[in-house]
Amino acid sequence: MNQRPFLRSFTAPAALCALGFVAAMAAVLQYSLRAYVPGSLDPGGFTLANFADLLKPLYARVFLDTVGICALTAIATLIVGYPLAYALVRLGNPLLKSALLVVVVTPLFLGEVVRTYAWIIVLGNNGFINSLLRGLGLIDQPIQLMFTTFGVVVALVHVTLPVMVIMLAAALSHIDRDYVRAAESLGAGPIRVFLTITLPLSMPGIIAGVTTAFAWTFSAFATPQLIGGGRVNMISNLVYQLGFASFNFPFAAALCVAGLALTIAVLAVLRLMARPFENVEAH
Amino acid sequence: MVGHGKAAVHFDAVTKRFGDVVALDEVSLAIARGEFMTLLGPSGCGKTTLLKLAAGFLGPDRGSIAIDGKCVNDVPTYKREIGMMFQNYALFPHMNVADNVAYGLKTRRVPRQECRRRVAEVLALVKLKGMEDRKPRQLSGGQQQRVALARALVINPTVLLLDEPFSALDKNLRLDMQIEIKEIQRKLGLTTIFVTHDQSEALSLSDRMAVMSEGRIRQLGTPRDVYRRPRDRFVASFVGDSNRLRGRLVNVTAAGAVIALGNAQVKVPGEAFSGAAADHPVDLFVRPERLRLVDASAPGAICGQVVAQVYQGGHVDLQIDCKASGHDRLLVRSSGDQAIARWPLGAAVGIAIDADGCAAFPAE
Amino acid sequence: MTPRSTYQRLLGWGGQCVIALILAFMILPAIVVTIAAFNDKAILSFPPQAWSWRWFGRALAYPDFRDGFRNGLIVTAWASTIALLVGAMFAFVIDRYSFPFKRALEGVLVSPLVIPHFTIGLGFLILAAGIGWSRGFAVVVACHVVLVLPFVLRSVYVSLKNLDQGLEHAAASLGASPLRVLLTVTLPLLLPGLVSGWLFAAILSFNEFTASLFVTSQRTQTLPVAMYNYVREFADPSMAALSVMYIVATAALIAFANSFLGLGKVLNIEQRE
Repeated sequence: MNQRPFLRSFTAPAALCALGFVAAMAAVLQYSLRAYVPGSLDPGGFTLANFADLLKPLYARVFLDTVGICALTAIATLIVGYPLAYALVRLGNPLLKSALLVVVVTPLFLGEVVRTYAWIIVLGNNGFINSLLRGLGLIDQPIQLMFTTFGVVVALVHVTLPVMVIMLAAALSHIDRDYVRAAESLGAGPIRVFLTITLPLSMPGIIAGVTTAFAWTFSAFATPQLIGGGRVNMISNLVYQLGFASFNFPFAAALCVAGLALTIAVLAVLRLMARPFENVEAH
Repeated sequence: MVGHGKAAVHFDAVTKRFGDVVALDEVSLAIARGEFMTLLGPSGCGKTTLLKLAAGFLGPDRGSIAIDGKCVNDVPTYKREIGMMFQNYALFPHMNVADNVAYGLKTRRVPRQECRRRVAEVLALVKLKGMEDRKPRQLSGGQQQRVALARALVINPTVLLLDEPFSALDKNLRLDMQIEIKEIQRKLGLTTIFVTHDQSEALSLSDRMAVMSEGRIRQLGTPRDVYRRPRDRFVASFVGDSNRLRGRLVNVTAAGAVIALGNAQVKVPGEAFSGAAADHPVDLFVRPERLRLVDASAPGAICGQVVAQVYQGGHVDLQIDCKASGHDRLLVRSSGDQAIARWPLGAAVGIAIDADGCAAFPAE
Repeated sequence: MTPRSTYQRLLGWGGQCVIALILAFMILPAIVVTIAAFNDKAILSFPPQAWSWRWFGRALAYPDFRDGFRNGLIVTAWASTIALLVGAMFAFVIDRYSFPFKRALEGVLVSPLVIPHFTIGLGFLILAAGIGWSRGFAVVVACHVVLVLPFVLRSVYVSLKNLDQGLEHAAASLGASPLRVLLTVTLPLLLPGLVSGWLFAAILSFNEFTASLFVTSQRTQTLPVAMYNYVREFADPSMAALSVMYIVATAALIAFANSFLGLGKVLNIEQRE
């Protein structure tokens, strides 16, 4: 009797996919170690020059900017998303809850381009915000929001919000209501209950949300490209430009590898921060 | 023990609805200072709702609730001086034992030195000295319960609310914890409201108990009163084991009512029969320990037949088929194990009823 | 009906105001884009002076959009179905059995969640070039499968965890072979999880942009890529019209899924009392 039916047949396709994926990643790694031959699509011989180039201030700057934008976006998304997640979980009215859920989840499925485009109309010099402020008589000249880091971050926060809200809501919903009741019975007012019970117990969710937000934002391309317009560059934009404008694929690959190392480093740090909060849920 | 003066907790004609369901129907109850009051009933009877109203997790639709003489209808939970124990303890998993216990003291801004002293004191009281640094998940069920108790006691609450706190413990631990909690309660003179569906717990722990069903209190009294003189058929059948026999009303006098069961006649208190006509069918509720097995030919005995013997170690439960009890089997309890030989399976027996401790009600 | 102090009430009102502001922030782009889509003028200005439906017609007729839509459907259909099969089978194996390298394999397949899409896209581009694969649909499908697989895995795995294995044991005790148990007991019970996993994968694949930008060619470009190229060249509201149609279709789909599947359960955010 085969104790484990289907084991081979069900694992094989997955192993195949994994193989393909690893091959793609290996391809990137391999290219990063090859020299760039200008004017040709094929790379040259093995070299570490690409990684040496990364240390140039120009590129180091892009790395720092990217980390800054990702961190800023993650934190802003957390601050904006937490109240929403809290409301989503605590709301009694099922109709309101459904409506809220649909409003939160729908943007998730619209894709980067549609959402970024909408923000172009909001942020542009003739767009919504400027027209509103001009109409109210608050300003004479349009405020420059497009092609600024601020504009990019605002749009990125909007893009990342649904995912953060869902992860926070999942964590909050698993906090047993009895903990809140016990705290109240011991004399804790609403603020104290939040600070001493709800917030600490939702920490695993917060860290998971921030981690996901960081990874997602790092992967963003359309938003910084369209709203940044070449003036705000993240690593993603640089990779694209190097690959499709100058065809310098080896350097683009090196950027990808460095970016990956950076992401892993940040995720590892976040993971360490999560350690004291793990195993907190007793239920 | 039970103090005089203003009631510690007073429910006045409290009504609570959830949609179409009436969870509490004009319930009034006064709990004296230092009293251990049990709310007993099956699930859905309203006992937990009443407890939640006392705690402030719910507000009444009608009526009022007063703690220490002050109406608390609009007072939120965190401003009431209550201590509560939850069914699953609700110990804060991210704090150690000391922080859990000290939580109520911190909300009252007790200075740190005094905090530490009182925490140590109460942990000694619940026999958990030295456990301050443990986390809840490192404790056994019984230890967790002690921490929950300590946490509720350390703040010197006006009233202690217990929401079926023993249901998660195994049997032996349960009995030990019940005795301990009762001792502590008595020593501190703490007014306590205890909610349970287990009638043996209610009987053993309460100063007074309120038997509830369908949103109303059916009977309020000491455990002995409730057990020996149930006021209606629900209380008679819910509290303790009882046998139900069908008979006829013979007559009602000042001394009591006389019920006939076959050849036998039993006299019971007559309150339930005012205005009832003679020959009216009657349900007689008898405790198993009030039934004795005698010879089938004995005068005044009801005839029956042994259909099952259940050996329980210290006593034997015999199940008897007899006409007077209809489809139900009579449960007779006989201490020791002589009954196994004396009354074998299939034997014809006579049943004698000890009238003291019977309750009878007109049949519906 | 819970008794609340004035303080609690004030906090409640304040909280509701904050929520309203945040919701306004979330809905703002959608509303703005909808208004802009009906602008009669070709310039992207706000607010519109005149109103018209013509950009909707132009968006529907624009060949790049139509081709992109068609290509997107092809890629999505293939990618989500393949991902469902591979993912469901692998989730089954992860849930039930242990075997060497299980964790490693699972880790590799889940890692696209944290690896930037531009890296994965670049990787597949270089790989395809390296092994002589032409930039046709196959590369795009392969790339998308890798991208959506983690979501399918998670969805099916959660369904498997909620499955009562006692039912399968009962079937086996009645004489059913493992294959029969799988087809007649396991599969029907998993169906909701499989459907929601497939749906999720399909939507993600259809809307995926960054990696697609790298691996698609002029011939195979998906709708998001076509939209991106349009925005870089033209500034008229056709794109706004397309966005409006997108938003309406997606919202309807989500609301539909919510009433049937209960999004709260699928996303695991039901409150524990």
